[in-house]
Amino acid sequence: MKYFIYNANSILISSDSEINSDLIQVLSSLKSKIEIDYKEYLIDTVQSINSLLVVFDCNKISVDDFYIKVKSIKTGITKNKLKSKIWEIPVCYDTFYASDLEEFSKSKNISKEEVIQIHKSKVYDIMSMGFLPGFMYLGNTENRLHCERKLRPSLNVKKGSIGLALNQTCIYPQDSPGGWHIIGSSPLKFFDLKNELPCFASPGDKIKFIEISKSKYESIKKRTL
Amino acid sequence: MIKVIQPGLYSNIQDYGRFGYRNIGVPYSGFMDQESARTANKIVGNDENESLIEITLMGPTLLFNADYILSITGADFSSSINNDKVDMYKPIHVKLGDTLKINHSKYGARCYLAISGGIDVKSILGSKSSFKGITSSYFLKKGDEIKIINNNKPNFSFDCKSVFKIDSVLYVSKGPEFCMLKKDSLDMLFNKKFTIGVNNRMGYNFNEKLQVGLKSIISSPVLPGTIQLTPSGNIIVLHRDCQTSGGYNRILQLNEKSLNNLSQLKNGDKIKFKLIN
Repeated sequence: MKYFIYNANSILISSDSEINSDLIQVLSSLKSKIEIDYKEYLIDTVQSINSLLVVFDCNKISVDDFYIKVKSIKTGITKNKLKSKIWEIPVCYDTFYASDLEEFSKSKNISKEEVIQIHKSKVYDIMSMGFLPGFMYLGNTENRLHCERKLRPSLNVKKGSIGLALNQTCIYPQDSPGGWHIIGSSPLKFFDLKNELPCFASPGDKIKFIEISKSKYESIKKRTL
Repeated sequence: MIKVIQPGLYSNIQDYGRFGYRNIGVPYSGFMDQESARTANKIVGNDENESLIEITLMGPTLLFNADYILSITGADFSSSINNDKVDMYKPIHVKLGDTLKINHSKYGARCYLAISGGIDVKSILGSKSSFKGITSSYFLKKGDEIKIINNNKPNFSFDCKSVFKIDSVLYVSKGPEFCMLKKDSLDMLFNKKFTIGVNNRMGYNFNEKLQVGLKSIISSPVLPGTIQLTPSGNIIVLHRDCQTSGGYNRILQLNEKSLNNLSQLKNGDKIKFKLIN
């Protein structure tokens, strides 16, 4: 792990090692330790694919002292790994919602059914969140689903849309312009300001997609309104 | 209650910001120029992080439906009440029926209008700061009615000695990808002037370019003040509403004081970067 003083009140911890599920677990375990041990100094922690930014209150502790504290924490996978949550997310892959599935399957020369099968058969890590509040970057997808972003971004990707780009898949928590290939949609709410924690999941958790029918989608959607 | 007769170019409600939700992709938001905003709050006896109105380049016209105590800080927008010019950096007493006209700035880009008591809007995720996707409204519109919190314990003991000044030097420290800069870029960064281009609450672009062809990095955390270099050689300084992560090289980090200062600079203004430890 590399430790870098990012500014007067934050430290960036990053890793050069291969990006995989283990690294994500190391980062989330380090994040939890910092959140427990140094709660009194913390303002924010931001976990991303291969790094962790720790923002603290520099009125309470100097950056040099906090740097020493953070650096002294042993990194590695702890029993935390066993506690990693897996969220089962219902997805309807019907082309009614999956606006790019047809074209994507043609461009890849894989049938639609196969794209769906490949997509739903893997458990994904939430590698980071950003772009929009609650937008999840999930990885890694299987090689056969790897793709560039769309040449022309859609101006209005619908809330709940499931996308593909590079070696990742994502969930749009709100309507937004976007360049990911949309291959399905989930009827759940992924960012709800009515809840104290607007997002049920966070980086380090895992996501498993469960295929549902169009009628099931509509009935869940009605209930979550 | 305060009625918006004209909203101005971009007037919005801000407090210190929304902290603790960056991990789920929620930006900080908050006062662009924290120093001026906090001073405005202190003058009217508010907590320094209380919500107020941030005004950008062209100001609003506001009608007061009650008596209030206000203050205006930051850039001078030559403001007037019922056509009488008002002083900045001092408490201003307005009466029911008075109209405040905040014009435009000749020097600086933003001013802050604090009202004793603060603004009565719903706090979302611990903040009243406007942000699209979080708050239902994110800038003032004609006809809006702004509710004010009754200030029970005003404390007007603050003796304001602030002088508004803009520095044309921005102080920076090395960012995580600083070592990716070539000698030509370094020479240019710390010896040449840069011209401010398109800018908003999310970030500031510059007209000059540095080295071209730098490969993007894995999407990584960024903060307000992070200076990114795009593959096409453009420099972007991220500001208060910036996203939580990005894939451009993070070459420099602006310090907090310079971040406040930057928010008072306008399109076409020239600055120099100075590296500090």
